[in-house]
Amino acid sequence: MARRNAMVAGAVMYAVLHPPNFYAQAAAHPRPELRKRPFALLDGEPPSEFVIAANKAARALGVEAGMTRLQAESFPEVTALSRTPADEASAHTILHNVVCLFSPRIEHIEISPGTYALDIEGMNRLYGDATHLAARLRQHTMAAGFLANVAVAENFHAAVCLALGRAGVSIAASGCEREALRDLPVRVLPLEPEHEETLHSWGVRTCGELAAILETDLIARIGQAGKKLHALARGAWPHLMFPIEPSFEDGLIERMELDHPVEVLEPLLFLLSRMTDALLERVKEKALAIASLRVVLHLDGSKQHERIVRPALPLQDKPTLLKLLQLDLETHPPSAAILHLELHAQSAAPYRAQHGLFLPQAPEPGRLEVTLAQLKKLLGDERVGSVELKDDHRPNAFRMVPFAPPPPARSEKQSLSVPMALRVSRPPQAVGVVLTDNRPTRVFWDGQRYAVREIAGPWRVSGQWWSETNWCREEWDVRLTTETSERVCRIAFDPRSRCWYMQGTYD
Amino acid sequence: MPSSAAIRLQIETTLANRVPAALTVKIKHAPELFATGIAEVDAVLDGGIPRGCITEVAGAASTGKTSFGLSAIAVITQSGAACAWVDVSDTLSPESAAAAGVELKRLLWLRTSAERKQTITNKPWPRLEQALKATDLLLQAGGFGAIVLDMSDVLPEHTMRIPLATWYRFRLAAEQARTALIFLSQAPCAHSCAALALRCEPASIRPFSINGETALFEHQQYTLIRERNRNESSVFLQKKPPLRAAWHAETLWSRVR
Repeated sequence: MARRNAMVAGAVMYAVLHPPNFYAQAAAHPRPELRKRPFALLDGEPPSEFVIAANKAARALGVEAGMTRLQAESFPEVTALSRTPADEASAHTILHNVVCLFSPRIEHIEISPGTYALDIEGMNRLYGDATHLAARLRQHTMAAGFLANVAVAENFHAAVCLALGRAGVSIAASGCEREALRDLPVRVLPLEPEHEETLHSWGVRTCGELAAILETDLIARIGQAGKKLHALARGAWPHLMFPIEPSFEDGLIERMELDHPVEVLEPLLFLLSRMTDALLERVKEKALAIASLRVVLHLDGSKQHERIVRPALPLQDKPTLLKLLQLDLETHPPSAAILHLELHAQSAAPYRAQHGLFLPQAPEPGRLEVTLAQLKKLLGDERVGSVELKDDHRPNAFRMVPFAPPPPARSEKQSLSVPMALRVSRPPQAVGVVLTDNRPTRVFWDGQRYAVREIAGPWRVSGQWWSETNWCREEWDVRLTTETSERVCRIAFDPRSRCWYMQGTYD
Repeated sequence: MPSSAAIRLQIETTLANRVPAALTVKIKHAPELFATGIAEVDAVLDGGIPRGCITEVAGAASTGKTSFGLSAIAVITQSGAACAWVDVSDTLSPESAAAAGVELKRLLWLRTSAERKQTITNKPWPRLEQALKATDLLLQAGGFGAIVLDMSDVLPEHTMRIPLATWYRFRLAAEQARTALIFLSQAPCAHSCAALALRCEPASIRPFSINGETALFEHQQYTLIRERNRNESSVFLQKKPPLRAAWHAETLWSRVR
């Protein structure tokens, strides 16, 4: 009656579910034929595999944890199995689903695989008193294919120790945790190996015997760890529960089924606006911002069109996000009518910057992002950005990278002379060249006839000779003149195609 | 009979929502200047190119427009500001930019392409249209220290056909965004919208040096002529005769020597 009253009054109660010999149970779960036969579970890299778990039948034959594969295989009746992480993950999922039926607040106990602690405060209306709840929890677990011990106590650690040390259902009455734990072996406590050895040498075998030692005496002999052990043995060590919470990131999804296939993007933007709004509200509740948005469009003909919009900085601004989505979808439109759309968001801490009055001017990040998207739509993805020089012998080898200017800061000025800029012809234009003594004397380019007034070269350059993309050319610097104009250019001769090209103009 | 001051106040109050301070003379402040990194040119320009204004650099090929532009952009990026280079003919050499001292991470390079249009033509209209639109977008976004619109390879007859309204719009946008807008072209096209008009000319030709058996192209002499500066304090100074600055640029390999 006292227990019932405690649950009704809202006192904290914990139920702990512990499947003994979890690894063996997890291995046998997908293979029901193994349950009646002795088997040993092996872990480690071949050939130094060792037994980590064995079922009851195998243990009865003499198989023990820590045996090598050879020792385990010396028992002809015992089947040797390799440990499979997938089996354990699936067992964890099954057990997690079972405990989720009984409480929304669940904590996984890391040190003991497969063990879950449930906060069952206020669950009496659904499941009756603690005994009933424990019995139903065990029943459900067994129906799912696992043997399990269930313990209920007001103290979290007392419930864990009871579940680990006592088979079946155990209930510790309120305030009677010490008595409940009295006969349990000390191995149910989280003991360090040296403490286990010390307690063994003292002849302390049960929690009751450990609790009978004076706390100060225990601390004096094994240090501060003794205080915790003593409290655990008495069932009085406090615990702050950290329940497993559903991942916030996984929940940042909005889906919408369309009544009719939509081919035009404009009506879609109304829906995307609503969905972005909903996602932003959820994200803002946690004081976060949206770092990326992934639009998945399910198209007519069971095709899928996926686009990711990733602003340079996490944003909380709906118009900017929507504009980025719109520009991206306009640049990369779907190939068929849209039937169903999904919007996935990824959150991140919002961007905060301390601006200074005396710092140089810099584009505002959110606005810059939209401008860059508009420019990409106008010019093409690969034609907008910063340039990065490649570590290559080929002159003017570069790659385009997204434009992300670093925070404004002054850098040291170079005191070198002004270099002459080359205006590169992309792609190199073919020119006609008249040679005299193997040196260009006249150049025909762009409908003009130029006389070579001065010439320097040839500069032979080549690269990538080890691959199929090898290249070589002879470059000449030439001062070209007509009657009215003059220009200094770089022309090149490609020996493989036997053609002359205009590389660029010095300006 | 109300006084003229009262009438003026009445008109200004009535028009306040549409034209703020309609009858008050706007005091023009001297614009902030960006040094160009070329001492001889800075001396002629009284410190550099103006911020929030259009600077037009016109000249034929091989007269130093690009070297001048890169030198100015290098100084601005080194000061920590972001810049943009709108490349109508896709001719910018990243190596030259890096050698000029441009901080490449702070430079947004926009390369226009004729292939974006369905019909590829030899005419520069698609490229020019893209470049003007891109410049407009950049000016609207704001925050750039300088924007270079490089039309050096576009023939003057094509640049002249750009409507004057475009340049007026750019002038206002540059003023509001406090961006130095630099045009590189073969002939002046922005007309009165350009606060600073510069002309590039080839100077005395220095022959290729012959130190050994092979000739080597080492440097080039240029002349920059300041034709107009609207930011001069006095109207008389704005009309003073063109000033000339002689400067030279070196090739990368002559630096090593």
